[in-house]
Amino acid sequence: MDSGLSRQLFTRLLLVAPVVFGVVTLTFLVARVFAPDPVALYIPPQADEELRHKIRVELGLDKSIPEQYGVFLADLAQGDLGESTITGRPVTSDLWDRLPATVELALVSLTFAIVIGVPLGVLAGARRDGPLDFSVRGITLIGMALPSFWLGLVLILIFFVILGWLPGPVGRLPLGAVAPEKITGLYTLDSLIRGDLTLWWESVRHLILPSLTLGVVIVAPITRVARASMVEVMRSEYIRTPKALGIRKQVIYFRYALKNALLPIVTMIGTIVGFVFTGAVLVEAVFNWPGMGKYGLDAILKSDFTALQGFVVVASVTYIVAFFLVDIVYMLIDPRTR
Amino acid sequence: MIDMTADRAPEGGSLDVIAPGRSRWGKIRYVFGQSKSLTAGTILVGIFILIALFARFITTHDPSAVLVGDPLTGVSAEHWFGTDKVGSDVFSKTIAATALDLRITASAVVSALVAGVVLGTIAGYYAGMVDLILLRLLEILQSIPTLLLAMMVVVAIGPGELNVVVVMAFIGMPYYARLVRAEILTKRTWEFAEAARMVGGSATRVAFRHLLPNSLSPVLAYASVNAAWVVLVTAALGFLGIGIEPGTAEWGSMIARGQTEIITGEWWVSVFPGLFVLTLTTGFYLLGDGVRDVMDPRSRK
Repeated sequence: MDSGLSRQLFTRLLLVAPVVFGVVTLTFLVARVFAPDPVALYIPPQADEELRHKIRVELGLDKSIPEQYGVFLADLAQGDLGESTITGRPVTSDLWDRLPATVELALVSLTFAIVIGVPLGVLAGARRDGPLDFSVRGITLIGMALPSFWLGLVLILIFFVILGWLPGPVGRLPLGAVAPEKITGLYTLDSLIRGDLTLWWESVRHLILPSLTLGVVIVAPITRVARASMVEVMRSEYIRTPKALGIRKQVIYFRYALKNALLPIVTMIGTIVGFVFTGAVLVEAVFNWPGMGKYGLDAILKSDFTALQGFVVVASVTYIVAFFLVDIVYMLIDPRTR
Repeated sequence: MIDMTADRAPEGGSLDVIAPGRSRWGKIRYVFGQSKSLTAGTILVGIFILIALFARFITTHDPSAVLVGDPLTGVSAEHWFGTDKVGSDVFSKTIAATALDLRITASAVVSALVAGVVLGTIAGYYAGMVDLILLRLLEILQSIPTLLLAMMVVVAIGPGELNVVVVMAFIGMPYYARLVRAEILTKRTWEFAEAARMVGGSATRVAFRHLLPNSLSPVLAYASVNAAWVVLVTAALGFLGIGIEPGTAEWGSMIARGQTEIITGEWWVSVFPGLFVLTLTTGFYLLGDGVRDVMDPRSRK
């Protein structure tokens, strides 16, 4: 990497820092200032003032808001997101335990979306207004409009209730099944490493519907962006030339055009990687998938503000980092942006 | 006083530019002829607006009444969408929810648009420090995944129709602001803006009277996409049980109430409200595509 590139990376990093700081502050404000009083939720209403005070001191809520903010920042700087009031464990370990479930779900859906979406978008955009383009536009439009949680329920209705091919919304494994010993935390991988094929098959079967739901939701924007970007590129003169030279269409589309159409596609994939936590909240809620999204949702429903705060900070930082990575990928694949 | 209108650049979205020299009706027909998406989107959204306006005449039963029929009976002539587990009529509830969801969408989109456009115009025209600070603040807002931000704020300020509208407007606003800011930033040095300044137009006048109208086309196309987003997120909040007060006829919470029935085979409780969400958001996306088709000549055939 030359010095100009690393200097640019450094400048971008400087721009990212205040945004991270702002997000952390905003999250703290919403969670701490506006959220319902957590103390009131955990003790019976007839509890006396002394007990209330004791719990407040224990949770650090007796201090002023600026003081609490100071403590929060100092802890955060050491990677400490506080302790969940529900599980009584550090939020970081709670999230860490639930990370593999979300990663497994996200990886499969994202792979599915890219493998299907990019080629489909490229072909549709290359032959604009053709029959393929027409169907792709129609289907992706509906894909964008689908509420993911409802799609999940409909898929459960079709594949579990009516056809009986796949398991219902019971999480990552059948009820009562023992998870494979943790190596990566991805059940489909761990069970395979352990050589337990029955368990592997069960984990795959349980993964299909949730990842299909999330996959359908994210394949639509990827396909649309790939298509729009290709339409733009196909107009340019460097595409007209190889066309006139009679080079094979597939070569033109996928070697010459796709390379130049790649930037918006990379941005969209970055956005989607950042969005995975949000999408996961809904899909995990429908399928009882014990991932980070479900954890964040439970935190909201049970007013566990430390856990909620931790989840939102992690999700937002992932979002920001995803965009930062997109910037880097930009600079690597397109010399013009350097 | 010099006639200021003569100095104004043609408005990007005006029918006169797209279809000059035709009668009013002819212009409208020409514009719809330009884009099938626009026609389809207008019809779909139009149907939903009609349903919302005449909801009380369309409902066959009292939407909030329980035991208007036996619990969990399927689709029949008496109950077109069946009944739920407390014996409410799913069709009537779905229709009543149309009015609620459209009301939320319209209020949220209009508020976000107005607030975002004003902020964006200020940022774009005054540039410098104001722009820098506003842009950073908007960037922070946009860095928190939208559904999470919506969930967090709604839980913090409590459920209710008005609160959902406020949250949706708040989250949608930055996108409008950035769109308008970018447009104004490029156009503030164009001749028509210079001319307006030269004849003595104040900064506010030039920004809001001349630059703003010429920067609105992308905003209109975005408003439709924003509307689809509001419908989806309102339904998502309702589904998670944190948007509208529990028990209200709202599409998302209706889908959530039918969640257990899906497993036992009584599909109609969840499926019909979901179809309504899907159709309305499809309509808004088509409308957005259509507006863009018509306004951006390059995307036309």
